[in-house]
Amino acid sequence: MTTTTAPATPPSRVDALDGLLDMVSGDRMAGTVARLAGEDFTGRRVGSAGGAAARAWLARRLADLGAAVTTEPFPVPSVPEVYAQPTVRWYDGTTTTEPVFGQQLSVHLASADVPLVRRGGLAVAGTGDPGGRWLIVPAGMSLSDAYGHAEGALGLLVVANVDGEGWQYTMLAGPNRGPLPVLTVDPATHTALHTASTTDGAWLAANAPVRRVDVTAANLHGRWPTAGTDEAVEVLLTAHFDGVGDHPGLRQPGAADNGSGVAVVLEAARVLASAPPTRVALAVAFLDGEETGALGSAQHARRLAEAGQRPVVINVDGAGHLHEAAAVEAGGPAHGLLAVLDQAARHTGLPLAAGPVASDNRRYAAAGLPALGIGAGMAGYHSPADTPERVQTATMTALARLGVATVWFATASGATLSSLIGD
Amino acid sequence: MSENIKSSGAANTPGGFAGDPAAALAVSGSGGCCGNPPAAVTLPDPAGTAASPCCGTTADAQAAGSCCGTTAKAEAVASGAGCCG
Repeated sequence: MTTTTAPATPPSRVDALDGLLDMVSGDRMAGTVARLAGEDFTGRRVGSAGGAAARAWLARRLADLGAAVTTEPFPVPSVPEVYAQPTVRWYDGTTTTEPVFGQQLSVHLASADVPLVRRGGLAVAGTGDPGGRWLIVPAGMSLSDAYGHAEGALGLLVVANVDGEGWQYTMLAGPNRGPLPVLTVDPATHTALHTASTTDGAWLAANAPVRRVDVTAANLHGRWPTAGTDEAVEVLLTAHFDGVGDHPGLRQPGAADNGSGVAVVLEAARVLASAPPTRVALAVAFLDGEETGALGSAQHARRLAEAGQRPVVINVDGAGHLHEAAAVEAGGPAHGLLAVLDQAARHTGLPLAAGPVASDNRRYAAAGLPALGIGAGMAGYHSPADTPERVQTATMTALARLGVATVWFATASGATLSSLIGD
Repeated sequence: MSENIKSSGAANTPGGFAGDPAAALAVSGSGGCCGNPPAAVTLPDPAGTAASPCCGTTADAQAAGSCCGTTAKAEAVASGAGCCG
C-alpha cells in the first residue's frame, strides 16, 4: 500500500490562501440557511413549488457570482405526500386520546391512501382475530409479516423512533405503498395501545391521507471560467438542496439537512470565484431528489460519464452541528483527493474522521469518479426540529474554509488527483 | 462547538485525520441507506465499533423494498438499528 502525501506549498501561496480563508463569512452562510429554511420554500420537497422557488433563488445567487448557470430536469415517480393531517382518536376503556401529529403519530411511507376514517377495535398482529380491527405490529415484526396476519384488518400501527424533542423522522425513500393504511406511533403510544388492546371496549378511529405523485425534479449547475489554460483540475462541489418538505400544518425547514451544506458550497464558491486559483475548473451542482434516493446525483453522474468528464467531487451533507470531527467518506480513485483534503484540514484546523456520509457522493463514486462526502452533523433531522437556530455558524465556517483550502491545495496536486490507479 | 476550529487565517491546532486518510475509503456501512444520519461523527472508538448509517425501525429495515443496501440492511436488522423508516 502506498501513502499519498500532498506536495508542499510555497509560503507566499499559503499567505494568499489565508487571505481567501479570511473572506469566508459565517453571517452570509447563516443568511443562506435562514432563506432556504423559510416559509416560502416549504421544506423544499422534490417537485414542490417550494423546491422550485429555492432552485430559482439559488440560480440567481450563482449568476451573481459570475457562474454560467444551467438546470437539468429529470422525472421522479411516486413521491409520497401527506396531503392532510390524519384524523386519529383512540379509546383505552377510560380515556379518549387524540395523538399529536408528527410526534405521537404519523403516516408510514408504505401506507395506502385512505381518506375516510376507519373505526374498530384493537388487536396485536399475529394473535387473535384481525378482522375489522386496527393491528398493533409488535416491535421486530416486519411489515410483510404483519400483512400476513392482517386479513380483514382496518390498518396497521407500527412503532417509530423519535428524536430528542419527540419528533418522528419523515422519510421519502423506502418501501413501496402497501394494501393497508399504516400509521407510525411513538414508543410510548405503541406501548399504551398494546395495553389497551387487552381492554374490552378499546377502539381506534383513523384515516391515512397520503398520496404518491409523479414529479419533475431539476439539478442546478454553475460553472466558472477556468483560470489558466494548462492541465486544469476539474473540481465539482455539490450539495443537495431538496428536503423532505412540510406536512400540512407542520413546518420541516430542512435547515441543517441540507440548507447548511448548500450554504457551505455557495460560500466556498463565492470566495474561490473572487480570486480563482490557476489550473482549476470550478463547478457547483445543487442537487435535487436526494431525499428520494439520491436521484439527482445519479442523473448527473450518468451524464458526466456519457460526456467523458471526470471531475473530482466534494459533496457536503450536513454542516450543522460539529461534535468532535467532521465525517469523511471517500469513494472511487480518491487517494490523491483525500491527501489534499487532509492537508487542507490540517491547515484550517478541522479534525476529520472516516465515517459514513450516505448521500450523493456515493452516486459519483459508483460512477468511478473520485468522490468525497463530508458531513459535520445535524441537531435536527427530517423533522420540525431542523431549524436555522440549531445550525452552528462556526461549523459552516469550518467546512467552507476546508472547501476553499482543498480546492486551493488541489492546484498543487494537479492531474495526480484522479490517477487511473487511484493513488 | 469544537474548540479546535479557528475562525480566521491558518490554524494553530492540529486538524486533519488522526490516522490514515485512506480509512475513509473503507467506511463501514457504505452500501447503506439513502439520507444521512442525524448525529455528528465522533473520533474513532478504540473498541472499533462503527455507528450505523441507518435510521428508522427494525421493521422498516426488514421490509421488502427498503432502500438499504444488502449489507447495511442485514446489519441494521441484526443490530436493531433499523433503516430508512
